Amino acid sequence: MKNAPGEEPDEALTVTPPKEWAAGVPAVAHALEYSLAETSPLRAGRTLLTMNQVDGIDCPGCAWADPAPGHRHRNEYCENGAKHINDEATTRRVTADFFRGHPVSELARRSDAWLNQQGRLTEPMVKRPGSDFYEPISWSDAFGLMAEELTSLDSPDQAVFYTSGRASNEAAFVLQLFARALGTNNLPDCSNMCHESSGYALHETLGTGKGTVSLHDLHHADLIFLVGQNPGSNHPRQLSALEQAKRNGARIIAVNPLPEAGLLRFRNPQKPRGVIGPGVRIADRFLHLRAGGDLALFQGLNRLLLEAEEARPGEVLDHDFIRSDTSGFDEFAAHVRGVGWSDVLAATGLTREEIEQVRDEVLASERVVVCWAMGITQHRHAVPTIREIVNFLLLRGNVGRAGTGACPVRGHSNVQGDRTVGIWEQMPDSFLDALQAEFGFDPPRAHGLDSVKAIKAMREGRVRFFLGLAGNFVRAAPDSTVTEEAVRTCRLTAHISTKLNRSHTVCGRTALILPTLGRTERDMQASGEQFVTVENSMSEVHTSRGRLEPASPLLLSEVAILSRLARRTLGGTPDIPWEQFEADYGAIRDRISRVVPGLHDYNRRVTRPGGIPLTNPVNEGVYANGVGRALFTRNTAERLQAPEGHLLLQSMRSHDQWNTVPYSDNDRYRGIHGSRRVVLVNPDDMAELGLADRQNVDLVSVWADDVVRRAEDFRVIPYPTARGCAAAYYPETNLLVPLESVAENSNQPTYKGIVVRLEPRTPRPMPS
Amino acid sequence: MHSVEETVEIAVPVRTAYNQWTQFKSFPRFMTTVRKVDQIKPSLTSWTLALGPVHGVFEAEIVEQEPDSHLVWRSLGQRPAHRGEVVFEAVAVDRTQVTVRMEIAARGATGLLAGVPKVAGRVVRGELRGFKEYIEGLGAESGAWRGTIRNGRLRRTHEERQASGVPCWPVG
Repeated sequence: MKNAPGEEPDEALTVTPPKEWAAGVPAVAHALEYSLAETSPLRAGRTLLTMNQVDGIDCPGCAWADPAPGHRHRNEYCENGAKHINDEATTRRVTADFFRGHPVSELARRSDAWLNQQGRLTEPMVKRPGSDFYEPISWSDAFGLMAEELTSLDSPDQAVFYTSGRASNEAAFVLQLFARALGTNNLPDCSNMCHESSGYALHETLGTGKGTVSLHDLHHADLIFLVGQNPGSNHPRQLSALEQAKRNGARIIAVNPLPEAGLLRFRNPQKPRGVIGPGVRIADRFLHLRAGGDLALFQGLNRLLLEAEEARPGEVLDHDFIRSDTSGFDEFAAHVRGVGWSDVLAATGLTREEIEQVRDEVLASERVVVCWAMGITQHRHAVPTIREIVNFLLLRGNVGRAGTGACPVRGHSNVQGDRTVGIWEQMPDSFLDALQAEFGFDPPRAHGLDSVKAIKAMREGRVRFFLGLAGNFVRAAPDSTVTEEAVRTCRLTAHISTKLNRSHTVCGRTALILPTLGRTERDMQASGEQFVTVENSMSEVHTSRGRLEPASPLLLSEVAILSRLARRTLGGTPDIPWEQFEADYGAIRDRISRVVPGLHDYNRRVTRPGGIPLTNPVNEGVYANGVGRALFTRNTAERLQAPEGHLLLQSMRSHDQWNTVPYSDNDRYRGIHGSRRVVLVNPDDMAELGLADRQNVDLVSVWADDVVRRAEDFRVIPYPTARGCAAAYYPETNLLVPLESVAENSNQPTYKGIVVRLEPRTPRPMPS
Repeated sequence: MHSVEETVEIAVPVRTAYNQWTQFKSFPRFMTTVRKVDQIKPSLTSWTLALGPVHGVFEAEIVEQEPDSHLVWRSLGQRPAHRGEVVFEAVAVDRTQVTVRMEIAARGATGLLAGVPKVAGRVVRGELRGFKEYIEGLGAESGAWRGTIRNGRLRRTHEERQASGVPCWPVG
């Protein structure tokens, strides 16, 4: 067993020039270094060589799709995936002794990285009211505690069941079934904080909540937009697809406030030309966009396309498609023609010439794909922005054809699948009717709470019970101080977890840690060894089968924990075979096949190599948005701007981080080493604000409620961010995001668009 | 570009011949150069060919498809290597004329066909004969896809558009 670090690392901040290429040999070296620090060479080999293979372990990291069976590399993973999976396969262990030596109040002062590095949780633990220590508890007593709390609620709506994207389809289906059988739709998930805006806008306009592209579409696109995303750190395997597209002749336009290494050049470590050669240039054109300027960019672009059509009638727009498949074109066109250039240029920070050059690229391209991530979705006007991207795609018929489409890039392995099988607080009646027909009870119809609403309900004392299926809700949520106060009002919080995190230390009066199997581990149940199923970002549902022995003999699988909790809480009413579900996950999939459209004959089809490619209705010429046609929309938004003396802050991951888990204090692509408490600012803005390199500042966000939200003691780093924009790491800066600052319609927190001022903490340092 | 046109008359109704042609996965059973076909989506197929010792893989987009009438395709890639069409015409109630027209460039997986004189015509003729023997031997199609494709996009009737067999709720 490897030893966990006893104390927090004490490194000095150093800064080196940002990298201009991603991956290459250093990616392999860092992946191996981290993996071997966590586990043995044998275990690392067993995880890595089966990772993302047919019948292997699905990477619990991002949701990027795997190449078709027969076309996968022997090492089908990236640096971050290797770190992530061996972070789970670690031989470090958190035992009852650990908790005896570390009171909860002390753990609450520890960093996210330190908590994670302590290793795998090994037995159920409870923190009782008034105690500052977790102590062991039997599984039976843990279920008893939770069941007692749940059955004593005044209303089932006093319970909240949160799901993270690590949960399998089987666990997610059992959780939503339990919650609805109990009588509540309070099923917030991590989607509420990442791509909710995408789902809302795509559903409204195209009638599908999912992206429309496959890897094949990316490979055969003529032009690919990468908007508000950082594939080099957050979905590195996307770079392989982009490399393939480039070799097929595609051009790529990257749009981002930061010129990330992975947007510029990719050195594929699995190919000789990536190891010893210069690699492949990713972005042919980089638009250094102001944060939140994407809506204005696409409106300007759409206006230029309409003007090009007027100059060359019949040559620019896909009139046949617009006529036969869409609605609302005339109103949209009239609206976009009225968009003023001064507004577009002010919002984007670009020149008109730059946008006209993009128009020319679009006109030269028969097939266009637009990819986007949090840089789009985590703004107040995220939904109008994505609707405008759809307008852009519709104008030239760039949906439903090979090499075209919308590609929201999801960051957590099964976040899409969890929603497919019913984790949503607003599931439609068609799903609830199917659930009723299958299980014989009437599911609640009133919408439940999403993540933001759940925090508000806790704050108002309307939630007594919180269960987290994986994840780190406290750290992922916005307005950290408010969220933490809210969570502490619960009578009981319980987390189904593999590793320690802050959500275990900021908890209800009674708190439970329910340790569970990881994706990497064998899952033996009464009927034999089980596999689980997951859905990637491109709607392919496939199996994942763990290979390692469990970290502790006391671990239960997520399905087992949820099934036992349901049985203990609900007894035999309604009559749901929870025991059978725990014994044989195939029994769950049989039920899913009768409830979820598209997953018929689930057990047979999902075990085929490659699994089940779920059909996207848009690619079948179907727009299930109630209108039956793709919708052009008119979009407006107030320009996001920081008043004088302020900057627009976006939060971001470091390269050495996965969601709320930093693996170290380094971010080598951006040249930041030894500290995460840094704020990246454009040198011209630094000069204007009178800030010096490495100056200590507090970040203070500005919001209508006048509450002072202050993130203390950050160092200012000059960095080529877009003018007026700053960047800093989350979750450290989540406390700056007001709970009320959410995207229109989707209610998604605006982690990428916060007005801040930088308040110096000490006198300016003397120049060295 | 090298042009090829070959025709064969088959003793089955046009609907039967057309339906069988839509079953791309069955092509290796009667075409000697086709090793494997994957239908990625209605308008996108992936083909593995073998011409003697030379193997090649390409993806093709179906640009136009009209039941019992015709199908137009083109290969994908930086410089498309070939394009073609197959036309079905009823010459009698139970007889169908199938015509394949192709334009092949001297590159990619099908480049060999264009590189050697008369090889392309001979190969296409042979494969069409294989198709004829296969479907005449079966007497009935092994499956059918009756969708329509225009400009690379699947077309649906208004009624078909109202129904969808997959989850359509928003995904965050």
